[in-house]
Amino acid sequence: MTALLILLLALVLLLLRQSLFVILGSVTAAAYFSVGEQGFSNLVLDSWGALNREVLLAIPLYILAGNIMARGAMAGRLVGLMEAATGHLRGGLGIATVLSCAAFAAVTGSGTVTLLAVGAVMYPALLKAGYPKALALGLLCAAGTLGIVIPPSIPLILYGVMTQTSIADLFIAGIGPALLLTGLMLVYVRAAGRGLPVQPFDAPSLRAGLRSGALGLLMPVIILGGIYTGYFTPTESAAVAVVYALLVELCVYREMTLKGLLDTVSETGALLGGLFPVLIMAVSFTVFLTYQQVPEQVVGFLAGLISSQAGFLVATNLLLLLVGCVMDIGSAILILAPILQPVAASHGIDPVHFGVMMVVNLEIGYLTPPLGLNIIVAMGAFREDFWTVCKAMLPFVLLMLAGLMVIAWWPALSLFLLG
Amino acid sequence: MNFIDKLLNHLRRTEQGICALAFATLVTVLFTDVLAREITGSGLHWASEAGLFANVVLVMAGFGLAGASDTHLRPRFADEWLPSAWQPLLQQVGYLLTALFCGVLCAYTFSMVLTTAGLEDRSIQLGWPLWAVQAILPLAFGSATVRYVCFGIWPALVPLRLPEGVTTG
Repeated sequence: MTALLILLLALVLLLLRQSLFVILGSVTAAAYFSVGEQGFSNLVLDSWGALNREVLLAIPLYILAGNIMARGAMAGRLVGLMEAATGHLRGGLGIATVLSCAAFAAVTGSGTVTLLAVGAVMYPALLKAGYPKALALGLLCAAGTLGIVIPPSIPLILYGVMTQTSIADLFIAGIGPALLLTGLMLVYVRAAGRGLPVQPFDAPSLRAGLRSGALGLLMPVIILGGIYTGYFTPTESAAVAVVYALLVELCVYREMTLKGLLDTVSETGALLGGLFPVLIMAVSFTVFLTYQQVPEQVVGFLAGLISSQAGFLVATNLLLLLVGCVMDIGSAILILAPILQPVAASHGIDPVHFGVMMVVNLEIGYLTPPLGLNIIVAMGAFREDFWTVCKAMLPFVLLMLAGLMVIAWWPALSLFLLG
Repeated sequence: MNFIDKLLNHLRRTEQGICALAFATLVTVLFTDVLAREITGSGLHWASEAGLFANVVLVMAGFGLAGASDTHLRPRFADEWLPSAWQPLLQQVGYLLTALFCGVLCAYTFSMVLTTAGLEDRSIQLGWPLWAVQAILPLAFGSATVRYVCFGIWPALVPLRLPEGVTTG
């Protein structure tokens, strides 16, 4: 009965258009009240405890580094390099789009920033080169999501925070699946690019592109290389990434102004101010769930329903695909990761593998109606109507589902670099 | 209305300034720690604590900025479940409800600050009084309360809302 009342409260708040931090906070406070505890006092204490986690420091720093690069000259230079490297291949401009998105995503850690930054340059270029609108739209939106799994990935950090899983391990485990998804998109675009014009190979352009874009390509090398060799912790590498981004954009490329930098800092602050309250409310809710031994009860309940690892993987992936259709990836991870991960562990699934699978699954939600973020952004950025964008997504959603199946059923793809 | 607009603008600018300072502190402290470790062989033992405090200030200033741009994460799938004629009223009630929630949090975090000050709790590495850092919580929630009350009473002050999570991916 209490659970039903709390669900009703959540529904009423949802209908009253409340932000997620209000819904989660109210539900948590009500849940504490229902067991005779001080609701808001516990919520405030849990929130303060959640803010005092060193691992959280990586999130603002990676987002700031990414936003500095996105606002600066990086996108155009990376796209130029990829075009010069692949223009002579069949479907070369499409391949350049996928590789630009992958490289840019590795720099910024953000799927939507990648779509906006690369799409602004590549969408008109693809249409001009004769690519069908649906292919160009689908390609940009799908390749834009690569930023979600390519390290440094904010959703992977959130999963790590919520499930006490090593963020360095999650970053390294994201490499294999990111390469698989990138490879699948490259194969598709090469096949779909049959009959489209090809440019002759131009070595001087490639050399110029390499000179121009090399500093941007070094960013993921510094971040991942530093973490993988044990030289930096993820938080330290995030601080180094910000300083590197500032040096490159302000001292080398010199296209970013001080005002531009301050605007970037302010926008990043607003973004963090939207994300962290949800995070700390979700941590408080998780503390309550743990205190009430809810994860253990869920594990026990589901064990009676689903006995095999394969059955759990199918059920979980279907659930996450549905959730991804109606909820953003950050909120979904904050709410579901602490509940699902113990169940996954009870089925013998490695927490790092499960985290990568969960993030890849929710990544597909960016491309699915009604609330796929890349659909909404593409509608605005490329001035296309909802159904045109949705139809363009279909082949890429199927492609990513195929990739998800491989990632879910082949843990070694995620874990091979972790030994 | 003009006065309210000015007040909200002042709040936003103050939060922007605090946010920039906190970011500068966070980056400087953590990068100096790495640099010091590489040059002298030992890092700054207080760096992560200072970074955490800067992050708390940053996040809470950002909380105000997210409110100012109305970009707090919000599930939207239920937006069309009620008649569209009700939407303006629902929106106003919604802002006032958010203001109430923030007001309650302001009161409870203020109480936490008073308790911490009473206990004379200090941070482990820097030895700073913890209440001084915690004070940003009631200030931020108080500022949000004022902002959402204004949004609830004068809907014209609500900024145009962008798709949430535009850069969270």
